Amino acid sequence: MPTMLDELCRPGSIRVEFQPIVQLREDGPHLYGFEALSRGPRGTTMELPSVMFEYARRKGRENEIDRLCIATAMMAASSLPPEPIISINVHGSTLSNTPRFAEGLIEGALAHGIAPERLMIEILEHRTLWVMEAVHATLQELREAGIRIAVDDLGGGASNYRMFVDCRPDHVKIDRYIVHGCTGDRYRLASLRSIVALANACDAVPVAEGVEDADDLAAVRALGIDCVQGWHFGRSLPASEIDASEFLH
Amino acid sequence: MAKRILIVDDQDSILHAVNRFFTRAGFVVDCAHELEEAEALVTHIAYDLVIADLSLSEQGSTEGLEIVRYVRRCCPHTRVIILTAYGSPSIESEALRRGCDRFVLKPKSLSDLVKIAAELTGSAA
Repeated sequence: MPTMLDELCRPGSIRVEFQPIVQLREDGPHLYGFEALSRGPRGTTMELPSVMFEYARRKGRENEIDRLCIATAMMAASSLPPEPIISINVHGSTLSNTPRFAEGLIEGALAHGIAPERLMIEILEHRTLWVMEAVHATLQELREAGIRIAVDDLGGGASNYRMFVDCRPDHVKIDRYIVHGCTGDRYRLASLRSIVALANACDAVPVAEGVEDADDLAAVRALGIDCVQGWHFGRSLPASEIDASEFLH
Repeated sequence: MAKRILIVDDQDSILHAVNRFFTRAGFVVDCAHELEEAEALVTHIAYDLVIADLSLSEQGSTEGLEIVRYVRRCCPHTRVIILTAYGSPSIESEALRRGCDRFVLKPKSLSDLVKIAAELTGSAA
């Protein structure tokens, strides 16, 4: 009997949606980029990406599914507006365990008409069992191609200061757990302040994830965070349904 | 609010029948075919009850016991029923030791199974 893994690997099974990342400037919000968010097959137990990757990890196939999601994202991103950056999630273990990862990513981007300079990879991890030499070499190749590096979900799960030190990111995506409801919560605000200081000290751009209302938006802006993502500005949508004009100034 | 349950069985026909019956009885039902799929779901979704077949790969296998152990560790408030046609006192005792709430021998009517599920979850189904 075919397993759910077979279903995930079937062409067209994994879908990708894009959520806007917005930069707040004095003249208003500007579209900064789109984060590609993978979804499992509709109507299956794998529809939630957290479940899909948990399952793939338990089957020992996380890196394969990761690469499949990246390839799908690249294909879908080819129809997005040509300027905003395209941010793609990748597990640290995939960077560590995939020979010639950077080469494959760059070739994949070019094959779909996407300049590597438009790409950002968001590194996430659940267990930090990486071969650091391999990760460093891959990150170096990506940087040389102009690809931005972000640490994803900083402050949540295994995304911690060690990851920040190891990856030397250009961008720091702040976990929604810390951002959502930060207004009036001094523990969340203190955590945000600390991450902003960390990012600023290393010339990294902090990006607040999970901004869902005007209060949280005002709170993160007051802390000097100009790049935000969340339902306040837009939910994730398939590329074909995105109307970028509403963000473009 | 409807109770959410996860049914784990490697046979499609059984999953389909149990899913339909429990859905009609007012439960919200997810289905999994394998141990890893069940564990992934339990990790990220809060279930009121997991109903798992003891054997998920071959006759005599005991993946269901792994599910009991995982559920107990990961979400202690979720109740667990193990179903099997090949039970033995030693396996039953091991299942209960691991924290299984009910060890049910097949054949069992779906109506009876719904009654047990309703009792364990405190639902009116």
